[in-house]
Amino acid sequence: MTDPVRATPDDPTLVRIRGLTTVLNGKTIFDALDMDIPRGKVTAIMGPSGTGKTTLLKHITGQMRADAGSIHVGGRNVAGLSREELYKLREGVGYLFQNSALLTDFDVFENVAFPLRQHTKLPEVLIRNLVLLKLQAVGLRGAARLMPNELSGGMARRVALARAIVFDPQLILYDEPFVGLDPVALNQVLKLIRTLNKTLGITSVLVSHELDAVQQIADHVMLLSNGKVVAQGDPRTIAGDGSPWTRQFFGGEADGPIPFRYPAGDYATELGLAGVTK
Amino acid sequence: MSARGQHGNVVTQSLTQIGLCGLFLLTLLAAIPRSFRYLRETTRQLWFVGAMSLTIIMVCGLFVGMVLMLQLYHVLSIFGGTSASGMVVALSVYRELGPVVTALLFAGRAGTAITAEIGLMRATDQISAMEMMAVDPIAYVATPRFLAGLIAMPLLCCVFCAMAVFGGHLVGVTWLGIDNGTFWSNMTAVVDVHTDIVNGVLFKSLAFGAVVSLIAVFQGFTTPPTSEGVAYATTRTVVASSIAILALDFVLTAFLM
Repeated sequence: MTDPVRATPDDPTLVRIRGLTTVLNGKTIFDALDMDIPRGKVTAIMGPSGTGKTTLLKHITGQMRADAGSIHVGGRNVAGLSREELYKLREGVGYLFQNSALLTDFDVFENVAFPLRQHTKLPEVLIRNLVLLKLQAVGLRGAARLMPNELSGGMARRVALARAIVFDPQLILYDEPFVGLDPVALNQVLKLIRTLNKTLGITSVLVSHELDAVQQIADHVMLLSNGKVVAQGDPRTIAGDGSPWTRQFFGGEADGPIPFRYPAGDYATELGLAGVTK
Repeated sequence: MSARGQHGNVVTQSLTQIGLCGLFLLTLLAAIPRSFRYLRETTRQLWFVGAMSLTIIMVCGLFVGMVLMLQLYHVLSIFGGTSASGMVVALSVYRELGPVVTALLFAGRAGTAITAEIGLMRATDQISAMEMMAVDPIAYVATPRFLAGLIAMPLLCCVFCAMAVFGGHLVGVTWLGIDNGTFWSNMTAVVDVHTDIVNGVLFKSLAFGAVVSLIAVFQGFTTPPTSEGVAYATTRTVVASSIAILALDFVLTAFLM
């Protein structure tokens, strides 16, 4: 079985999303969303909270099924893959969870070694060297024997990053990779993402709110709102493109096309003030 | 909603849960061949649910045997049949108390731990992380725990029964003065290997082990990934396991008698 992520190296688009529609608990998350994620680039997906950025990553990796539409990764429809094919696809994909999702029974070393132990029969010495190499890259080689509950949030995120890249995947999905990192760690992680992208030609998709960080590493930014891509372009110029969406989002304005308030009934009625006049 | 409607809802939800649990069992059984590559994990779980439960099983077994002998001695002394006390202790323990009490203790000690562990793994995205690392959580997490429960229960039941007989001997022979030879000869004359040991101890405890482990793993995997959800799931594991053990005990006894 071929690895779908590496199957179509000539296609400039690695992930192609067409007409993606998702409704969760009666709320439309994606409304016929179309999106192309270019191969070998760093693509940032931005948008207000609750707009479905993490859900989109889950769709791409087949963790969630959409109500309609298709997602093709490396030319293969994710929804049409069998369990074995989906697992094969995931072997070529790294995923950094928002809350790190380290296995609490294992120490840092074993967490990073876990995918290698599960999918390879590499000799112990090679596993050890590979793990130490990745831990060195995220600056935590010295923390190899610490348990997850002994790590700070930022350290746990870096361990999760080391685990996500241990297989040198061709596609890495980062869910809020910069949250909880101090400036030094943030800079190192930014450098690491950029280096992985440049040296190994890895395609990176990152979900983030932090424009400063995104501007330093992303090649392309997409702004999601109301279930669609409402703006996209170069991260250094998108904030000034003049569209009301980007003006509101990057300017942090409460009023605009991006709803600040969750849909609700009439405020005065809910407070029992309907019909009350001065 | 009317009381009848509420009861109807409870019945519908319970039947749905039983149906889903049945489907989950099929998924577990289908995953057994895949879980053979995780033998180390199964061994680890066997240590956790089996060896770590030994203390509570041994202590409880000892006291159950002691109190049973005390009660029987006083009742049988009315009829002058105290020499049969050891035999009755052994039969009660092998046929009913051993498997049932061991299973109830196992549900409280290991079942709740399994549910809480898996529930917390879901709440902290560890199960999703395994999925994303192309590791099947049913084969890696659920099946080893299920198999460990299945293997551990008969072994724990044997230990429980041995300790109960020892407790009975301690009270009957050492304290109350029943003749040691009479105690053992009456017991060995009446206890039948097939009816009492194979059907009573081994078969029943195997069935209870399967039921408790299935319920514990199912509750862990289906609980809402929140602290409240995990708390409810552990409670449901104990309640559902206890009811299932006692109901199944009646059915098995009726068929095996």
